[in-house]
Amino acid sequence: MQIIKTDVAIIGAGGSGLRAAIEIAENYPQLDVALISKVYPMRSHTVAAEGGAAGVVQDSDSLDQHFDDTVSGGDWLCEQDVVQYFVENAAKQLTQLEHWGCPWSRKADGNINVRAFGGMKKERTWFAADKSGFHILHTLFQTSLKHPKITRFDEHFCLDLVVENNKIQGVVILDIAEGEAKLIQAKSVIMATGGAGRVYTYNTNGGIVTGDGMSLAYRHGVALRDMEFIQYHPTGLPGSGILMTEGCRGEGGVLINKNGYRYLQDYGLGPETPLGQPKNKHMELGPRDKISQCFWQEQQKGNVITGDRGDVVYLDLRHLGETKINERLPFIRELAKAYVGVDPVHEPIPVRPTVHYTMGGITTNAKTETSLTGLYAIGECASVGLHGANRLGSNSLSELAVFGQLAGQQAAEYAQQAEHHTIKPLQEKAQKIIARTEALLHSNGNEKMADIRQEMGDCMEEGVGIYRTQTSMQKTIDKLAELKARYKHININDKSSVFNTEFLYAIELGYLLDTAEAIAHSAIARQESRGSHQRIDEFNTRNDVHFLKHSLAYYQADKAPIIKYSDVTITKSQPAERVYGAASETKEK
Amino acid sequence: MTDKTIEIEILRYRPEQDEKPFPQQFEVPYHPDMSILEALQYIKDHLDSTVSFRWSCRMAICGSCGLMVNNIPKLGCKAFLRDYYPQKVKLEALANFPIERDLIVVMDDFIKKLEEIKPYIIPESDDKCLSEGTYKQTPEQMEKYAKFSMCINCGLCYSACPQYGLDKNFTGPAALALLARYNRDSRDAGSAERMKIVNQEQGVWSCTFVGYCSVVCPKGVDPAAAIQLLKVESSKDYLIGMFKPD
Amino acid sequence: MSKRKPYQREMKNDWWLKNIFYSRYMIREGSSILITLYSLILAWGVFRLSQGAEAFNAWLSALQHPVSIIFHLLVLLIALYHTLTWFSLAPKAVDLYIKGKPLDGRLIVAGHYITFVIATVFCLVIIML
Ligand SMILES: Cc1cc2nc3c(=O)[nH]c(=O)nc-3n(C[C@H](O)[C@H](O)[C@H](O)COP(=O)(O)OP(=O)(O)OC[C@H]3O[C@@H](n4cnc5c(N)ncnc54)[C@H](O)[C@@H]3O)c2cc1C
Ligand code: SF4
Ligand code: FES
Repeated sequence: MQIIKTDVAIIGAGGSGLRAAIEIAENYPQLDVALISKVYPMRSHTVAAEGGAAGVVQDSDSLDQHFDDTVSGGDWLCEQDVVQYFVENAAKQLTQLEHWGCPWSRKADGNINVRAFGGMKKERTWFAADKSGFHILHTLFQTSLKHPKITRFDEHFCLDLVVENNKIQGVVILDIAEGEAKLIQAKSVIMATGGAGRVYTYNTNGGIVTGDGMSLAYRHGVALRDMEFIQYHPTGLPGSGILMTEGCRGEGGVLINKNGYRYLQDYGLGPETPLGQPKNKHMELGPRDKISQCFWQEQQKGNVITGDRGDVVYLDLRHLGETKINERLPFIRELAKAYVGVDPVHEPIPVRPTVHYTMGGITTNAKTETSLTGLYAIGECASVGLHGANRLGSNSLSELAVFGQLAGQQAAEYAQQAEHHTIKPLQEKAQKIIARTEALLHSNGNEKMADIRQEMGDCMEEGVGIYRTQTSMQKTIDKLAELKARYKHININDKSSVFNTEFLYAIELGYLLDTAEAIAHSAIARQESRGSHQRIDEFNTRNDVHFLKHSLAYYQADKAPIIKYSDVTITKSQPAERVYGAASETKEK
Repeated sequence: MTDKTIEIEILRYRPEQDEKPFPQQFEVPYHPDMSILEALQYIKDHLDSTVSFRWSCRMAICGSCGLMVNNIPKLGCKAFLRDYYPQKVKLEALANFPIERDLIVVMDDFIKKLEEIKPYIIPESDDKCLSEGTYKQTPEQMEKYAKFSMCINCGLCYSACPQYGLDKNFTGPAALALLARYNRDSRDAGSAERMKIVNQEQGVWSCTFVGYCSVVCPKGVDPAAAIQLLKVESSKDYLIGMFKPD
Repeated sequence: MSKRKPYQREMKNDWWLKNIFYSRYMIREGSSILITLYSLILAWGVFRLSQGAEAFNAWLSALQHPVSIIFHLLVLLIALYHTLTWFSLAPKAVDLYIKGKPLDGRLIVAGHYITFVIATVFCLVIIML
C-alpha cells in the first residue's frame, strides 16, 4: 500500500473543494495539499449549475435585505450568525472569482450584471449567461493549476476516513485506473463531496452525486443535520429531471397549467404580474418549495398535462423573444431542444418538480469545523446552517466561494500546529478498510444492484417527497431497512481491478442507502411543516414551540439512527410568518 | 412501451483478460428519446454489468461521456438512438487516445496539455485588490474570448484531429483554444509567455487546418478558428522578431 | 504490479478514406501538388522567354498539345476546388468585430468571392488588351 504524506487532504474537487485548495496554496505556501476527486475536477456537479450566485452589489440593495430573504426563505431554521457572515462576504468572494477570470455577464458599461431570482427581494444574482456553475468550476480548476503545491488525485475514490485518538489522520483512497488503494496521511481533512440527490429517482443531479462524504462522516459519528429538508426544483424536464434554471423565470418566464392559466396566483403568490415584467418575490419568483407544492396541488385538481413522460405544466418563455433567449438562456434552449424536442422560442417547455438540493448535511460550526477534530466540511455535503429549511436559489454557489475560502483557512491553521501521527496504527486501520472493501468486491449474493437502486429512489419519492404523511414516511423507512438488508447480499459480477465501475457503483449504493435512511428518519421525527418539509397529516403547520430546532441524525450501524435536536442561533430576526406575493407587501407596510 | 429493439455493438477491451479489443453485440429496447448513454446504462444494469464507460451530468456539460458513435466522436448523452434506428449503432472508445478499458480512454495526455498552456489570468502588475471591485469588461471585450471559454474538456476534438493522431506532441485543439481564451481576455497580460508555446513546432504550426475539430465540437468552441487566429499572432511575432535586433 | 495495459490503436494508412471529411481534406491538400506542377510549367515559360523568342514559341506550341490542354483543364478544376475550400474556411482566420459582434462568416466568404471575381475579370481584361 502506497502511503502519501500531506498537510491538508481535500476530498472533492467541485467548486467548494477547489476554492479551499487555492486558499491554502495562496496563503499557506509551506503546506502541501492533496486534492482528491473521484472524477476529473471539471466533471464535478458544480459544472451543471446554471442560474447564478447571489451577492449584494446594487446601491438599492443591502446586506440586511439579503439576510432577511435568506432567513425567511429558510423558514427561520438558519443559523443567523452564519447568514450574517455569508452575506457580508458573498460579493467579495464573487469578485475574487472575477479576478481569476470568471466571465460574469456584464452591463454595457463593463460592470457586473445581476438578475432576479426566486425568493430574493432585489436583483443580486451574478450570472455567466446560463452556465454560471460551469464557468465558476472551470475558472477555479484552471486557477488551481497555477499552484504546484496542490497535488491532484484525479479519479481516486475515497473509501474511508482514518480516525485515531479521536482525530482524523487521513483517508484511504482507491486509484480507480489501477484498482489499488493508497493511504493519504493528513493533519486535517476537508470534506467537499457535494450533495445526495441521487437517493431520489427523478433529480437534477449527476450520477456522481451520491452522498459519499455525508455517509462517511456519519458512519464515523458526526451528526447529519436537517436532512429532512430536500429541495424540489419546480422546473425539471420530465423523464430525465434535467434542470431548466430559475433564471428562466428571473428573466420573465411564466408557469401555466393545461388551461393556459398562471395558477400560482391561486396559492398566495399573486396577484398576477404582467407578462414580461417579473416582480421579485411574486408569482414565478416565489421560493422553490412553495412553487413545487403548487404543482402538486394542481395535479390533485387535474389541471396538469399528462404526457408520455408523466404529468407536467408548461414553462413559457416565448414572449422573451429569440434574441433575449439566445443571449441570456442559450443553454436552456439547447437542452430543451435536445432532451424534449421543444424550441422554447416557439413552444412552451414541459416541466415538473424534481429533487435538486440537500439543505442538510454534515454538521459544522460557523467556521466549517465538524465534531471530529481535524475534519472540516463545506459545500452541499455540509450543513453550516446557511439554508435552514429551504435554500434560496443562487445562495449555494456563493456558499462554495465563501465557505470554501474559510475552510481552507481553518484547515490550514489547524494543520500548521498539528503533527503527523505515527504511521503504524494508521497503516493497520487502512489495511482493515482495504480488507473490508475487498470483501465487498467478492460479494456473490443474488440481489441485483440496479433493483435496489431503483426501489430506493422510488420509495423516497413516494414517502419523503413534496408532501409527506406519517404513513408514507413509515413505509419508506420500512422499505429502506429491507433494502439495506438486501444490500448485504448483492451480486458483483465484475471482479477485475482496472476501472471497475460496477464495484464503485456498489460502494456508492451503500453511501446512498445510509444517507436515505438519515433523511427518512429525520423527516418522520419532525412533527410539523416547515420550508421544504411539508406534511399533510395532522402536523401541517409550523410549530416553533417544539421544532424551531435543527435535527441531528446519529448513525447506529444496523439499527435505525438516533435523532436528536439542537437550538437555532437567532440574532436579529425573530420567526414570523413566511409570506410572498401581495401579502409580503402588506407585511412590509 | 414498444417492443422495438435496436442493435448496439460495443468495442470491448478488458486489459486483464484481453490481448486486444473485440466487438460485442447487444440488443436494447428502442425508444426515440433514449440517448446512447441511456442505452449503455441499460446494458450495464440489465445485460452485462462489466461494460465500462464514464458519465455523470447526462446533460452535455461535464464532458465525461465522449465516445465514437459509428466512427464519429460524440457525447453519449447528446446522441440519440432516433438518429440511427433501425440501423445498428457501433460504439468505440474515443479515437486517438489509448483505451484504458472498454469505452474509457486514458485522458492523461489531454489533461497535461491543458495544464501546460497556463490557463489562468496572469495579471498586469500586482494583484488587483478585492476592495477595488471587479475589473471592467464590456460585452464587446467578452465577445472576443467568449466562444473559446465554452470548452467542456470532452476531448472529441482530439479524436477528430488526424494531426494529433499522427503526432501526440501536438498541443492540440482544445488546449490551444483555451490558450486563445486567456490571451484574448482584456484582464490578462500573459500573452507573451503563452506565445512561446504557440510558436513552437508542436504549437499552432502542427495544425494543417483539417478543420474537423470544429465540426465535432459539441459546444461550438471552434478550436480551428482559435488556432488560425493564433497562427496570425505567431506570424506577427516572427516578423517583429526579424526586425528587432537582439 | 500494475494491471493496467492501455491499448493504443494504430492509425492505418487509409485513415483518410474512412471519413468523407478527411477525404475532402486530403484532396484539398493533394491538389496543391498539381498546382505546384502548374506553376513550374509557368516558371519554365518565363525561363524560355529569357532565352529568346524562338524558345518561348516552342514552349507555347507545346502548351497546345491535347495532353497539355487536358492537364490544364484538370488543374483549373482542382484549383477551383482548392479555392472554394479555402474560402469556406476563411471566416475562421478573421478577427473582425462590428458593434461588438463577430462579423458574420457568410459575409466574409461572400467578400472573398467578390474579390475573386473582380480579380479574375481584371486579369482577363489585361490579357485581352
Ligand atoms: C442542475 C443544478 C443547477 C444548480 N444551479 C445552481 C444555481 O444556479 N445557483 C446556485 O447557487 N446553486 C445551484 N445549484 C447547487 C450548486 O450547484 C451545488 O450545491 C454545488 O455546486 C455543490 O458544490 P460542491 O463543491 O459542494 O460539490 P460538487 O461540485 O458536487 O463536487 C463534489 C466533488 O466531490 C467529489 N467526490 C464525491 N464523492 C467522492 C468520493 N467518494 N471520493 C472522491 N471524491 C468524491 C466529486 O468527484 C466532486 O469533485 C445547482 C445544482 C444543480 C444540480
Ligand atoms: S473544444 Fe469542443 S470538442 Fe474539444 S474538448 Fe472542448 S468542448 Fe470538447
Ligand atoms: S454525461 Fe456529462 S457530458 Fe455526457
